[in-house]
Amino acid sequence: MTVFRTFLKVLKACIVPIILYTVILVAFGGFNMKTSDTSTAFVSSKPDIFIVNNDTKNPLTNNLIQYISENSNIIDIENDEEKINDALFYRDVNYIIYIPKNYGEDFFNGKDPKIEIKSTGDYQASLAEMILSRYIKVANIYKDVVDTEEELISKINNTLEKQAEVEITSSLDTDNLSKATFYYNFASYSILAGCVYVICLILSSFQSDKIKKRTVISSMNYKKYNRDLLLSNSLFAIVLWMFYVLLSIILVGNVMFTMHGLVYIANAFVFTICGLTIAFLIGNLVNNKNAINGIVNVIALGSSFLCGAFVPMEFLPDSVLKVAHILPTYYYISSNEMIAKLETFSIEAMRPIITNMIIIVVFSVIFVILSNIVSKRKQKIG
Amino acid sequence: MEREGGRKLKNVIEVKNLTKEYKTLKAVDDLSFEVYEGEILGLLGPNGSGKTTTINSILSLLKFSHGSIKIFGKEMRPNAYDIKRDIGVVFQDVAVFDELTVYDNIDYFCGLYIHEKSTRVKYIDDAIDLVGLNDFKKFYPKQLSGGLLRRLNIACGIAHKPKLIFLDEPTVAVDPQSRNNILDGIKKLRDGGATIVYTTHYMEEVEILCDRVIIIDKGKIIASGTTDELKELAKIEEKVSVEVMELDHKYIEELKALKNVDEVLYMNHILLVTYKKGKNNLVELMDYLKKESIKYNKIYSERPTLNDVFLELTGKELRD
Repeated sequence: MTVFRTFLKVLKACIVPIILYTVILVAFGGFNMKTSDTSTAFVSSKPDIFIVNNDTKNPLTNNLIQYISENSNIIDIENDEEKINDALFYRDVNYIIYIPKNYGEDFFNGKDPKIEIKSTGDYQASLAEMILSRYIKVANIYKDVVDTEEELISKINNTLEKQAEVEITSSLDTDNLSKATFYYNFASYSILAGCVYVICLILSSFQSDKIKKRTVISSMNYKKYNRDLLLSNSLFAIVLWMFYVLLSIILVGNVMFTMHGLVYIANAFVFTICGLTIAFLIGNLVNNKNAINGIVNVIALGSSFLCGAFVPMEFLPDSVLKVAHILPTYYYISSNEMIAKLETFSIEAMRPIITNMIIIVVFSVIFVILSNIVSKRKQKIG
Repeated sequence: MEREGGRKLKNVIEVKNLTKEYKTLKAVDDLSFEVYEGEILGLLGPNGSGKTTTINSILSLLKFSHGSIKIFGKEMRPNAYDIKRDIGVVFQDVAVFDELTVYDNIDYFCGLYIHEKSTRVKYIDDAIDLVGLNDFKKFYPKQLSGGLLRRLNIACGIAHKPKLIFLDEPTVAVDPQSRNNILDGIKKLRDGGATIVYTTHYMEEVEILCDRVIIIDKGKIIASGTTDELKELAKIEEKVSVEVMELDHKYIEELKALKNVDEVLYMNHILLVTYKKGKNNLVELMDYLKKESIKYNKIYSERPTLNDVFLELTGKELRD
């Protein structure tokens, strides 16, 4: 109890920097969650298009314009190059289509006339280009098999009118699951940083050479002392984990009371234990309080960037992900990504997540063994 | 060893042929000695002489190269927790938690030995009384002066009422008031029945405190005994220093020829005359100065110190 009581007293003495640190982490995480677009729902979108038509009397050209106007927003701008360029620059319009003289007639006669375009180059412009090229491709297919322009227009319209029905069979609440995944991915940084910062801060007092020397010569069994210290730190880590679970219930509560939420929480628990063992190892290695902030940045920020806590894994280069395999955070974040896609909770479906959890536990065991080796070596002073 | 009454003294520590080597350097070289129950043993030696290495070896903080160490009749090992229960150590460096108050610091270190709360509370109060920190119980170490910090360091080391106490230079860089307080506290601990091993390079403290002294240099014992026994090793019996503003060299030669004189030195307006033995040396010197009309301001006579013994044995000063 002596070690535990003193642990709490030292923790109390460090409470101000700990609260500040936690508030910064939570605020940073909350801000990121709010600003990042985690939505995966599909919403129809229309690009803004301006058409400079120099072939007004041709029915095929008119039909093309009709089709474009049905699938986009036609913007009215003065037909002046300078004004057109300004509109593109200020994103008032995404795509400009220049239809040349006699376009319809030349197209029907197989002269392959060119339509000039100007574009903002963004995804709305790509959408506009898709609309235009879809029409021309269909027209090209039927052009050689029809006799009149009217027949061609009729066939194009018939083809383009057809709509394929898409049904989403998944019952997953993808929007909220994405938010929960983002939250728990970010929590890897908060939990690791919190564990390393606080535990190292406290251990730097307990494990300073002078205090340690006094402890070693005391009648307290050194193994018991280390065990008490580990248990005290474990209690702190569990409180930290509970805090982030509670916060997740507040932020994405509708997911947290489902099986998905339970697996997220279990995964975070295993990772917290691993974070605790990492912190314990570092705390045994480093006694310098001034170095703790730097260590937190290297360990927590470094592994979070490498393993996809801030930038999703699919955007990270393969070389980075290969390096990330040596870090427990990688397996934690991989599991979070898998949890979001879980349709059922059978052993088979859960197997990769359970495997990742076991890998994290193995990491923890390695860190505990290393801590014991370091601690034993430091027990002797010469 | 036997007391004057013939009763045999009990060994608390028995060190035999202790040697600690660091590659080519022998920090402790074949040291053998005993510490008897209830005594204050002084380990005296200059910085780097091997005092702290000896203490660390005895406490199993250091793995020594050869020899054997017994405490309370049992072999001392790193996991000898039954022996450690009765040992208290005050290290040279202050070892306390910056985050804890004076009371909480003593509570923590006492708690490593004493688990029962009511006993611990009493022991903590006793330790605070002993070092005179009653007014500073709620202070944090950063709020204490160097002397008060040293007192806290001592309280943390002895609060569990050990039978054997190691004090490793506890008065280094301490103001005179705190030093007196610390020395009084150590005497009280001895009076309470504790056996004390006291390492220092301050010979005055050794003379005030210690029943027996072991002088160490370069890891070896060069002399041991009571302070009086050690002083007998010095070839001089009296030192007289006189403040003289001017002194012709011829007087120095004449002074050397006086009865019992061992050596005469004149430096920085101080005339130092050492005597091998004899009585009335001071009176004879004053008569000579008067006869030769040599003007002097102050005159002091003193017995040889342990530093003189050390100088005699090693050819260098204790504080070199």
